[in-house]
Amino acid sequence: MGKIANNSIMLAAAATLSSGIYTASFAEDMTLAISMRSLSNPYHATFARGGEAFAESVGLPFEVLVTEGNSEKGLADIRALISRTNGNVCINVDPNDSPDAATIVDEAKEAGAYVVTQWNKPDDLHPWDHDPNYVAHMSFSGVGTSKEITNALIDAMGGEGGIVAIGGILSNVPAIERKLGMEMAVAETGGKVEILDFQPADWNETKAFEIMQAWLTRYGDDIKGVWAANDSMGIGALEALRQEGKDGLVPVVGIDGTEAALAAVEAGEMAGTVAWDPMWTGGMGLSLCHAAASGAIDIAAEPAEHREFYGTGIVVTSANIAEFRSRDASFDFNDYWAKSTGQIQYQ
Amino acid sequence: MRKPRIPARLSRPTKNVLAFDTVESINWRALAPIGVFFLLCVVIAIFSPNFLSVSNAIRILNASAIPVVLVMGATFVILMGSIDLSVEGIVALCAVVTASLVLNDTFASDLGLWAIPFAVLAGGIIGGINGSTHVYLKVPSFMVTLGIGFVCLGIATAALGGFPVRISDRGFRALTLGRTLGLPNGIWVAAAAVAVAMIVQERTRLGRYVYAIGTDETTARQSGVPIERTRVLVFVLAGLFSGLAGAMAAAQLGQGHALIASGRLFTTITAVVVGGTALSGGVGSVLNSVVGVLIVIVLTNGMVLMGVPPFVQQGVQGFLIIVAVTLALDRRQLLVVK
Repeated sequence: MGKIANNSIMLAAAATLSSGIYTASFAEDMTLAISMRSLSNPYHATFARGGEAFAESVGLPFEVLVTEGNSEKGLADIRALISRTNGNVCINVDPNDSPDAATIVDEAKEAGAYVVTQWNKPDDLHPWDHDPNYVAHMSFSGVGTSKEITNALIDAMGGEGGIVAIGGILSNVPAIERKLGMEMAVAETGGKVEILDFQPADWNETKAFEIMQAWLTRYGDDIKGVWAANDSMGIGALEALRQEGKDGLVPVVGIDGTEAALAAVEAGEMAGTVAWDPMWTGGMGLSLCHAAASGAIDIAAEPAEHREFYGTGIVVTSANIAEFRSRDASFDFNDYWAKSTGQIQYQ
Repeated sequence: MRKPRIPARLSRPTKNVLAFDTVESINWRALAPIGVFFLLCVVIAIFSPNFLSVSNAIRILNASAIPVVLVMGATFVILMGSIDLSVEGIVALCAVVTASLVLNDTFASDLGLWAIPFAVLAGGIIGGINGSTHVYLKVPSFMVTLGIGFVCLGIATAALGGFPVRISDRGFRALTLGRTLGLPNGIWVAAAAVAVAMIVQERTRLGRYVYAIGTDETTARQSGVPIERTRVLVFVLAGLFSGLAGAMAAAQLGQGHALIASGRLFTTITAVVVGGTALSGGVGSVLNSVVGVLIVIVLTNGMVLMGVPPFVQQGVQGFLIIVAVTLALDRRQLLVVK
């Protein structure tokens, strides 16, 4: 039911976001669009804002499509958009599921539309095999950043002790990668740090809260650190600790860089988080797509590291939170790869 | 409380399965949920002695607080033979309302604990919309509440643009974080909600009418039970409880956002049914649902304590829920199962 519920929000929210802008479009203008799961989480809401900011900077009509967590709906909306614009469209899409990316690329290629994908695609689907319509794939290194944040947790624990780990939905690619990165960092301590237990809480705060409570019963003071695959679950665990007056005493780390987590890092309640840059992926994905479509760059001539690349995930801890808060987050829409941190590696 | 005047044949519902005052008619099956609960506790305690510690009991009660408040409303709706699927929507919207009215990082307001009545009232109003749409437009409660739940989530999302409102008022958060007589305040709030629901069920006309409607609506109508008014009032009541749960969720997690209640609907309906209240209406009680919540929460807690592998947990949970319902339902009283 939760899934259906989430979906419906999107409908309402997407309608409010896109309707006003759509009416202003002209037939000869290229349409810019963003497709993703939902507008009800901060990551995707910011992702859409990034796309909107780029669309405003070039004065082109902009649309937001939401999949509502439903691949069929996501594909149908994209198909409808492509046919309505006669293929004169750039889409920055975060596919609902990896296989969707292949279908989206095929549809776009047939109609002459241009596509940039985010996060999810099959490992054997590459932009350079579908020139020029499949412009690029952007992602963040789940394994690498997870390893870094786990190391930050281990530092905060003083280098040894037991940790409990809360994972995302077991079949999600980011959940798998983040878990792997955590396990690698723990393995590198040579047994000094031990994973007491791993439980998936499906990215859900409340579930993480309940699991953390049970862990406090099972392991009590043996828990020296808490690792969570995203910030929502990290906050859920933190609140369970707070209930027992242990907030700030047991270090907690999360991933995503949500405002709640950053504030908790500032307050010394969380040991760290990883800040992605959805404003950049939203805006730069569309900018790159638009540049390829309008002929500003010859995308087929670009090297592989400009077609499949990682963005910058910043590990934020108490040591650099002030610096992170005061950083210059703005970026130049024409400097396409300034924030790239290398070509995507497959495990 | 004034003793309500009730048509004689409605005055003592025989279907109230946990009513112990009628000794001569104890229905042993009615005690099945309690049996399941104790059996579950014994099994978990064998594998994990920590389970029986006082601190774990408090944790379980604490995790049960919000679901208990939610099932108080849901039980009446289900007893009536209807269903309320708007739980997640109302809780999320009321959590957002609460978080926005106390000292927070997004809006300039500082109502403190006075935000709670507003959240409860907001929940009641939405419940009223649920009930009147259902009754006067004759739309099945399943569709109405599903739709209204979506609308609530949509409003919560649109109002905040997908971002959470974070609460900075520590005084307000004492609603769940503070302790009174050694127990977290959330448990006391839930206990008060149970007391109110018990009074409604046992000592008011509304409570009697609910059983009458759930058992046989046609007969109830012929006996002069105001069906329409009762139905609307029950949905209002469910909304009020959901609103309170929204305020508690905001206090517990220190924020309000559109996804704060995700997963609550499943727990709520499961707990009501596992407790022995029939989805077909007329059979069950709010106390049954309290036991149902405890079963569901103990199950979650126990699986982690026993170290059941994550990918097995869901299967075990589903299996045990069916076992619990099978034991709890009195099939002699159910003529039709849909």
